[in-house]
Amino acid sequence: MEAPEQNPTNGGERDPQNRIGEDEEEEEEDSEAEDDDYEPEPPQPLSQEAQLRAHKARLTNLSRKLSSEQVPIRVHDVLVKGNTKTKDWVIEAELEDLKRAGSLQELLQAASLANFRLQQLGIFHSVNIVLDSGPKELPGTANVVVNVVEASNPLSGEIGYYTKPEARSSTVEGVLKFKNLLGYGDLWDTSFAYGWNQTSELSAGVFLPRFKSWATPLIVRVFLITQDWLKYTSYNERSMGLSLGLLSSRNHDLTYNLAWRTLADPSQMSSRPVRRQLGHGLSSALKYIFRFDRRNSPVRPTQGYAFVSTTQLGGLFPDSRSLRFLRQEIDLRYAVPLGFYHAALNFGMSAGVLFPWGRGFLEKPSSLPERFFLGGNSSPFSSLGGPTSLLGFGTRGVGPAEPRRQTDDESSERDFVGGDIAVTAFADLSFDLPFKWSRKSGIYGHVFACAGNLAKLSQNEFRNFSFQNFVKSYRSSVGAGIVVPTNIVRLEVNYCYVLRQFDFDRGKAGLRVSFSST
Amino acid sequence: MEAASEREELTLVARKPGFGLPTACPSCLPVYIYLKFAGVPFRLDFNLANPDSDQIPYVESGTYVAYNNEKGGVIESLKDDDVLDLDSELRSAPDFMSMRAMIGSWLEDALSYELWLGSDGSPAHKIYYTDLPWPLGKVLYLKQIQTVKQRLGITKENTERREAEIYRKATIAYGALSTRLGEEDFFFNRPSSLDAAFIGHALIVLQALPETSTLRNKLLQHDNLVQYAEKHKAQFVEASSSSSSASQFPSIPKRGSKPKSETKKERTPQEKTFRKRAKYFLIAQFVAVLLFLSIMGGASDDAEVEIDDDDEGFSYDE
Repeated sequence: MEAPEQNPTNGGERDPQNRIGEDEEEEEEDSEAEDDDYEPEPPQPLSQEAQLRAHKARLTNLSRKLSSEQVPIRVHDVLVKGNTKTKDWVIEAELEDLKRAGSLQELLQAASLANFRLQQLGIFHSVNIVLDSGPKELPGTANVVVNVVEASNPLSGEIGYYTKPEARSSTVEGVLKFKNLLGYGDLWDTSFAYGWNQTSELSAGVFLPRFKSWATPLIVRVFLITQDWLKYTSYNERSMGLSLGLLSSRNHDLTYNLAWRTLADPSQMSSRPVRRQLGHGLSSALKYIFRFDRRNSPVRPTQGYAFVSTTQLGGLFPDSRSLRFLRQEIDLRYAVPLGFYHAALNFGMSAGVLFPWGRGFLEKPSSLPERFFLGGNSSPFSSLGGPTSLLGFGTRGVGPAEPRRQTDDESSERDFVGGDIAVTAFADLSFDLPFKWSRKSGIYGHVFACAGNLAKLSQNEFRNFSFQNFVKSYRSSVGAGIVVPTNIVRLEVNYCYVLRQFDFDRGKAGLRVSFSST
Repeated sequence: MEAASEREELTLVARKPGFGLPTACPSCLPVYIYLKFAGVPFRLDFNLANPDSDQIPYVESGTYVAYNNEKGGVIESLKDDDVLDLDSELRSAPDFMSMRAMIGSWLEDALSYELWLGSDGSPAHKIYYTDLPWPLGKVLYLKQIQTVKQRLGITKENTERREAEIYRKATIAYGALSTRLGEEDFFFNRPSSLDAAFIGHALIVLQALPETSTLRNKLLQHDNLVQYAEKHKAQFVEASSSSSSASQFPSIPKRGSKPKSETKKERTPQEKTFRKRAKYFLIAQFVAVLLFLSIMGGASDDAEVEIDDDDEGFSYDE
């Protein structure tokens, strides 16, 4: 009787079918059909048992071989099946490593990685990579068959709470996504986001995982952002433009932004420096972010350090009348575990400087939307967004303030016009709460102290700037609170007490609720 | 930082100079001339980035500001706020107000038409858009042409009819003004806002518009108007800062009429506490929901792509 299984003498090279990834359809071995034909008809359980044992023996043999020695193999052919809309080269681009595999172990690894990458494209319902033996004339080869099932419904939507790198604050965002419209693995999305201070953004973008021969994905977005700062600085900002993601890797991020920005004051009550800046401007800027995060958790760091440097260069436009500025931000974080109650000391410092460049830059004022503003509800403890937070102070509530237009006897209010140099620092002790339910859901408490300062440098103010005065006039606050990390948003409820404030700062002791993205 | 004295002195913020004029914008030049007639020393600052704003020109001093789009214009605001008034006795003269109205409507429309629609657009471009980056300037220029067309009621069908009407009215206005002026130095024996308005209009027509312009040729037919404009231009272009008579700043009153604070006062203290309470209530609700979700541990994930764990094992089946 012919051997039911096609088990050649070099057993390791002809292995039973491996299924890696989500299983959809399993290809039946030919041998099993032959099994049924040739075997006598013993009672069912017995033959099944025998088959099982035979399979097991084969597999044990195979796994022994795999763990002990390299099983050389060559990939003869890679077939892609199931893609009606997606272009072949989009899928094959993820299979490069597969083709170069030299041994069975490498092949299995590469196959699993390729499966993951294809799933990451987000355009397939399922991916199934099957390794089969090559043609009989060529021993030692394998064929790889990639079965994909494209997503039947290309439309999907989601709502979330995000912090985008271009935005200054976190926003609630609703996104509608179209997957794979052109078959290039492209992801189109339109989103509407609404954040603090009546910031609203309408944008549409496309994400191309592979553009010609570029190594990194290409992201293009067009956006329309409106921000309402009337209450704090007497102006509205409307920005319309496009943003190109040029390079995005784990440590580096390079984007280019071209925007038409309009500052307007419908209340007609703005202060003099703000009045001078109202109008239209073109901002053409390159932004480079270098990120180095070695903390054990970005949400609740208890150990490690992180460093982020953000550089923005504006004015990269053939027209010399576009906005010219250079903005540099640095963030440093360091966390030290303390051993008991899962407690940790978390230190952080952020600094930033802004100055205009171009002819006569020493007398020019810096661009108002690019300046640094301290205060608000954002929490600095886990995010790395530059010098923006000083808990205990209202939004944009720190720093130089100019008197607004006065139309009657009332004392004139003030516009906070921000600064060109800003430094913030904090120290935070986080610990587990002594309740079981809090530990289970990740809720913890913390005690913190924050300090920060803001100063103007442009328009020859840097001549009067003295480092000692800057350090002496810092603002500070202390507080304690509870942090609730949920899936959507990180919620903090803090009680803050302002220790030092100056002039017209809007610092007030009290309970504050902050949200940040996880 | 600008010196404190700079902030206190009277400053006129206008659009940029051009065509041999201290400011080439039709709404800014009359204000400039008015301040020159008053003999008031003032600084001239320029705003180069806001060509489509009706807030410009504006006059500021300390925390007092008189915008162009409030109370009928800068000149009217200065009169209302008791800062500067050259027309005090002339308001009762019968033809003063009607002549002012004629300049403010017919001649202003004619100049708008000529600047934006009548010529090839280069004078308008030079006045408003030379300091904006090219793409912005272009788009704003096209937008402004549409706005002017709408304001003058010009459509594709009635272009020629409207144009004829606008020129006819301008001709009538010039004729009336020329008759009224005669050979005098001023329309009403002393400088007034009427003189400032007309001289501002005339200088822009004469110097900014090209020689082929219909409106310009119409004005050139009235020699006395042309000479009158040239004479006053020579006076204030040469006499730079120091004027003959008063060289003190006008006193800016601390109290003025209230355009916006009335709406603010309507926000009674009760409304303020209500809003604050409502905000706290909403925040408390939200926090409670989140706490409930995390403590009960049931917040559902919203992943769109489910990536199953790789099944690295070998599956064997029958």
